Amino acid sequence: MKFEDDSQNLRVRMRVLQILIVLLISVLGVRLYVLQMMKGSYYAERAENQRIRLLPIPAPRGVIFDRNGKILVDSRPIYNVILSREDVKNLDLNQFIEPFSTGLDIDPEYLRERLEQIKTQPAFESVRIKENASSADQAWVEAHQLEYPQLRVEAQPQRRYLENGTLAHVLGYVGEISPEQLEQPRYKEKGYKPGDIIGREGLEAVYDHYLRGRDGYRKVVVDSRGRIQDVIEEVEPQPGQDISTTIDLDLQLVAEEQLRNSPKQRGVIIAMDPNNGEVMVMASYPTFDPNLFSQRITSKEGRAEYNELVRDPKTPLINRAIQGIYPPGSTWKIPMAVAGLRQGAITLENSNLVCGGGITIGNKFTRCMGNHGTPDIRYAIMKSCDGYFYRLGLKMGIDGIMKMVDDFDINKRTGVDLPHEIVSQTPNLFKPMMERRGQAWKDIDTVYSSFGQVYDFATPIAMLRAVAGIGVGGRLSVPHLLKEARAVSEVGPFAARPAQRFDRPDPKIVPIPQDEHDAVVKGMWSVVNDAGTAARIRMAGFDIAGKTGTAQVVGLGKDTGENKDHAWFVSFAPAYKPEISAIALIENSGFGGVHAAPAVRAVYDAYYRKTRNEEPPGAVQVAQNKKTTSGGAGGSPPQATDRRQGE
Amino acid sequence: MLTLSGRRSFRDFDWVLALIAILIVFFGTWQIHNAQPEETYWQKQLFGLGIALVFMLIVSFMDYRKLVDLAPAFYLFGLALLVIVLIPGIGMKINGQRAWIKLPGLGQFQPSEFVKIPTVLMLARFFGPHRNGPLSIKEMLVGGGILGLPIGLILLEPDAGQAITYFPLLGVVIFLSSVRMRLVVAAALLSIIMIPAAYMLGVKTGKIKNYQQERINVILDPENADRRGFGYHTWQSIVTVGKGGVMGTRASSEFSQSKLKFLPEPHTDFIFAVTAESTGFVGCILLLLAYAVLLSRLITGARRAPDRTGMLVIMAIVGGLAFQIFINVGMTLGMMPVIGVPLPLMSAGLSSVLATFIAIGFAISIQLRRFVN
Repeated sequence: MKFEDDSQNLRVRMRVLQILIVLLISVLGVRLYVLQMMKGSYYAERAENQRIRLLPIPAPRGVIFDRNGKILVDSRPIYNVILSREDVKNLDLNQFIEPFSTGLDIDPEYLRERLEQIKTQPAFESVRIKENASSADQAWVEAHQLEYPQLRVEAQPQRRYLENGTLAHVLGYVGEISPEQLEQPRYKEKGYKPGDIIGREGLEAVYDHYLRGRDGYRKVVVDSRGRIQDVIEEVEPQPGQDISTTIDLDLQLVAEEQLRNSPKQRGVIIAMDPNNGEVMVMASYPTFDPNLFSQRITSKEGRAEYNELVRDPKTPLINRAIQGIYPPGSTWKIPMAVAGLRQGAITLENSNLVCGGGITIGNKFTRCMGNHGTPDIRYAIMKSCDGYFYRLGLKMGIDGIMKMVDDFDINKRTGVDLPHEIVSQTPNLFKPMMERRGQAWKDIDTVYSSFGQVYDFATPIAMLRAVAGIGVGGRLSVPHLLKEARAVSEVGPFAARPAQRFDRPDPKIVPIPQDEHDAVVKGMWSVVNDAGTAARIRMAGFDIAGKTGTAQVVGLGKDTGENKDHAWFVSFAPAYKPEISAIALIENSGFGGVHAAPAVRAVYDAYYRKTRNEEPPGAVQVAQNKKTTSGGAGGSPPQATDRRQGE
Repeated sequence: MLTLSGRRSFRDFDWVLALIAILIVFFGTWQIHNAQPEETYWQKQLFGLGIALVFMLIVSFMDYRKLVDLAPAFYLFGLALLVIVLIPGIGMKINGQRAWIKLPGLGQFQPSEFVKIPTVLMLARFFGPHRNGPLSIKEMLVGGGILGLPIGLILLEPDAGQAITYFPLLGVVIFLSSVRMRLVVAAALLSIIMIPAAYMLGVKTGKIKNYQQERINVILDPENADRRGFGYHTWQSIVTVGKGGVMGTRASSEFSQSKLKFLPEPHTDFIFAVTAESTGFVGCILLLLAYAVLLSRLITGARRAPDRTGMLVIMAIVGGLAFQIFINVGMTLGMMPVIGVPLPLMSAGLSSVLATFIAIGFAISIQLRRFVN
């Protein structure tokens, strides 16, 4: 100290200041030690997390073809608006609802749900807030990049289905995986993540594991605004496996046209190869547009459209082929006839039973539509004689009928490769149920069970399988739609996926002796090719064996308008060497021979043209709505041959 | 006589002090380049250093006592500049603060950085004469007045960050001018109790706004504070510092926090975070040591000062620099709220570098005159 100032403790005070400075700098040093030495790797990771982002590259989903290689479903690129989660982690998401819903035209309720979801997601995931963004939407995102750096536009393949709802029930549709599905282990294990597109219905759902590709990704560096600065790593996606189905699109379109033109525009047509179970046609009407689910469901209009579908009393979302159960009416008589012979209730030598114009059980008379004397089995089938089958049923007994049901698997699912198939309801279900309630099973109940009413409700697919199986001598194949899932070669980290075929279970064998088989087929042949109930659809040179059915919906006398009978026709052709088996159910239209048989005939015509390369014999005369056309060939269809029984 | 005094000046010139300061500026320039490799800030900084060295030499070879005599004139001139900068059209508005005067060709300069020097000279002049007995209330009030005028004007800009850096100047001068120890202790105790109490009261009564609370919360608990909102700067700064680890990332080609624009103001207020990211714990400790050496060197100079006035000038400079270093680095490390205070010798900015070197020039000048009496 160059000057004297000791009286003021100046030295001490300067020393105090110096110590204070050293202390403060030491505090900074300690803090640095904590941040850099102790927690350095933690912060390095945090820095990494905010600058590295994984952007998924969605894999194209497999294309679905028909049996001839025609495209049934494919994908095309669309643009989605994505909100990345990392950028909004600590923001109040509700502030986005107003500007996004107006700017991008999204339903605010839907947006609220989406933003709710984002909270439960792990880091690096993003949420799709608008699908199929228009160019105006893309421009909006672009223009608001500074305001909402969390938004980006991403290309994604989108499913494109056929127009007019063709094959909608078979193909199903895709949708975003639901939070509930994500919770389930079977989805978790397969590596599904939020936002993934998954098959929700139909073949899309059943064969999702084939159709689904493996998403690739780009690992990118982004700046604080989310703009991509560099691509560190890129993994190409592996496309999903293409699928060939057993469907024949040409036949399918014919069948759909038949249903569209039916009186109530409701019904089912199925056609399959009876030899192996390959389903060529599966049409259910009314139908819906699956593109709604893949393209429009996020828009307000799309959601309204969906709600309307769900509420529609005509249940367009239901696949009637496997989810509709109907009284099979007289089509029931075919397995009954086979079982009657097998069980010895009747014999080939003496198959005659009295018609009697009906039957009286106790004090109750159940009538037949005509009086057929004492017909044999062929004639009874041809004329669909109820009286004959009342008595056959009584001779077989309810146990015999139940054995028949069991033999032909009518009380089980067919095992078709579609979701939500339901089980037919038969005496095998109702009898034990009644007995549990203490109700006795009476003879009249056996009579009812013997002609496909009251206690008999079957799905069209189950009826077709039983009759088609009879057509090929008692081999009941499992109906299915998958022909082949094609192989996909190895891509980057994703292993090659081999071709897959339908894992076909052995057909169920119901032994039918040749002569018994011939007798029943003869009856079915006569239905179309003799003076039978479907003589109007006869095709010379292409012998159809079939059986009409007219199933009552309500009591006799009230069966008009919406409550008209269901019209059935089940068949195979050619009769003695079946290649194709077809069934039609036209809801609330009237006689099976008038409404269902011509619909099946139209399918056979198309099939004939394709396989024989010539015009089918006996030009097509199809029942157009209620207009009855006379058959071009053979037999004269008397009015109301199939009309029958009261309660 | 001339040659003799020239040779002695040369021998007594505090080269170490100047050299440390220059090295810190070079180190800082490297960091400015790391922070903004595509901008010309680092070149401007080197240019600023050149000018600053010229001014340092001029000041150091002038007799500080004559300059202290002229202090009132400088002080008034400084106040005039602070008034002028407030006039729209002359003063430039950046980030809502009208704190810069545009100089054609040279860029802009910030009067509030320079006015610290005349303020220090003015305080030293007032408190410099030999003292007997403790400081009176009247003297303290005058000191407060000398400080209050520029602070008031700076708050009109408004630049609270700069205003705060003025307080230690008076604090150090009063402390070294035999203010009663019990007053110092009382003030320290009072602030320890009053600041949290006032904060709690402010929160309760709603006087302290939500965003102000957030700034405090982010220091107490940066993990759970609003990291995207008011806590953003602090959180990103902490992440950037922590990321540096032991040795730092060095490579500037890498995607650094500043390059990806996660770290705001990387070349000015948050230059220390950039340093931490690129040079790690080692670089940061070396820099803090360099500051410690620089400040010790200045304190040593103060001890050797020929008179109280010189001692006060140097110590006020020490107080000012130490305070700025602590506030700035503390803010970068998430220990202090975000206040716009540059890190002396490191942050890009002509005004700050120039003002700091002029201050160092004064310290050298005072030491040079230690044998002259």
